[in-house]
Order: sequence, then C-alpha cells, then structure tokens
Amino acid sequence: MKLASIKGPVILDIPADPPAMFIVRALVGEISSRIGFEDEETDKLVLAVDEACTNVIRHAYKNSSDKRIVITFTLGMDCFEIMIRDFGSGADPSTFKGRDLEQVRPGGLGIHFIKSAVDKIEYDTPPGGGMVLKMIKFMPLQERAQN
Amino acid sequence: MKIQIDERKPGVFVVSLGGDLDMSSSPQVRNILLPIFRKKASHIVVDLTDVPYIDSSGIATFVEALQLSRKDKVRFSLAGACRRVESIFDLAYLKNIFEMAPDANQLVEGEQGR
Repeated sequence: MKLASIKGPVILDIPADPPAMFIVRALVGEISSRIGFEDEETDKLVLAVDEACTNVIRHAYKNSSDKRIVITFTLGMDCFEIMIRDFGSGADPSTFKGRDLEQVRPGGLGIHFIKSAVDKIEYDTPPGGGMVLKMIKFMPLQERAQN
Repeated sequence: MKIQIDERKPGVFVVSLGGDLDMSSSPQVRNILLPIFRKKASHIVVDLTDVPYIDSSGIATFVEALQLSRKDKVRFSLAGACRRVESIFDLAYLKNIFEMAPDANQLVEGEQGR
C-alpha cells in the first residue's frame, strides 16, 4: 500500500524512557522504507530521530522518564516531515552545537547525525512550553513523481 | 543487552555484545568494559557481530575506551560490525580512528598473549 493514501498525520505519543526508543526506531524505519528511501537513508533517518529523542530525554527532561514525547509523522507531496514535541524546560536553539568532528572525544554527535539525515530542520517554542523540532526530508524523486 | 567477557589468552579479552547499543544499554556496557583495562589487559576486542544498531551514546562509550587504551597502552579493537553499525562510525568520522576488523577470532589468533 502506498503511504500517500493515508490521510492525515500519524502520531506517536511515547514515554521519554530510553528502553521505549526501540519503538520509535522501528516505526521510523518502517515508514522510511515504505516511502522508498534507500537503506542507507533510512538508517540515517532512524538514527536522527533516535538522537533527537535522546536529546529530549537528556536535556529537556533531565532523564526524568515520567514525561512524554509526541512524534508526528506527515507525508507531504514532496517531503516527509517528522515533528518531535517535548514539554520540557525549553532551550535556545542557537546553543545547540555539535562538537568539532576533528576532535575525538565522547559526546556532541547527536546534532551532526540529525543534520546529516534530513534536508531541513526547524525549531519552534509553542505556547505551553517545551520545544518542537521539525525535521524535513525530501522524497526520493521517483516517489514524488508517483504522488 | 547481552554481554559476555572471555579471556581468550592471558591479557587478551573478547567482549561480545548482543542487542542494540543505545542510550538504554550503553551505561551497562561502559560499566563492564572500562574496568577490564585495569585487569592487566594487553588487548581488548569488542565483538559487535550481534549488534544491529548503535547510537551516539554507544559510540561515546567506545571513544572513552579508546582514550583509556591510549593512556594505559592497551590495544583496543572493534570486530564484526555490520554495514549499518560501520556506516554510523563513518558518519561520525571515526571509522579510521578505531582499529576495526571483520572478525574477532582473526584478531585473537594473531595475538601472543601477555
């Protein structure tokens, strides 16, 4: 079945708990494959969404697993959009910087992985607090033509 | 995460991991892997054959181990990484920083032990 025939977004509301992240990875992988992204692109997308959720757990929620992460998947005519909503303390996106990749030290890779996987990222601070990270990946050309 | 430690030769340890190496399992791996450096090890091999996925926290654990290996002059290698795991090291510009081999047994066979 073509994903384009699904009306409206798919919403995953999940505990901000590391053992639950396999569910996110499985869903992203399945949707990405069905959209028609190559395995390598799918792997990068899975990693990016996983890293974004990990950042929420670690930084926005300070490892408090009783909070929620809401992930909204939307398939447009020419792009796949993944929106990650948290209800944490919020932060200034200009401070989100990965480490210099020339340096070999632990940490600082998450942002780099996210940027490598998608074509565009946007941050928003919605009313009610927390943050929204929107990741946009353009569809493979063949799929765009069919949509 | 399944973790098995095997001292194949005196000072030559193979740490076999099974399962996703992510934020959930990395602390467990870190707590088991890093103390091996204090066991008079000469070579530590992490066998990733049964690890289908790794994230930045898993990579951070290995970077920490690599730093410890340089400090303690212990050889540290990764073996058996699948295409997906290897590509994540590549994405982090770390593929050439680690000693990576296709097979743990191959690495151990060439070792004399302590």
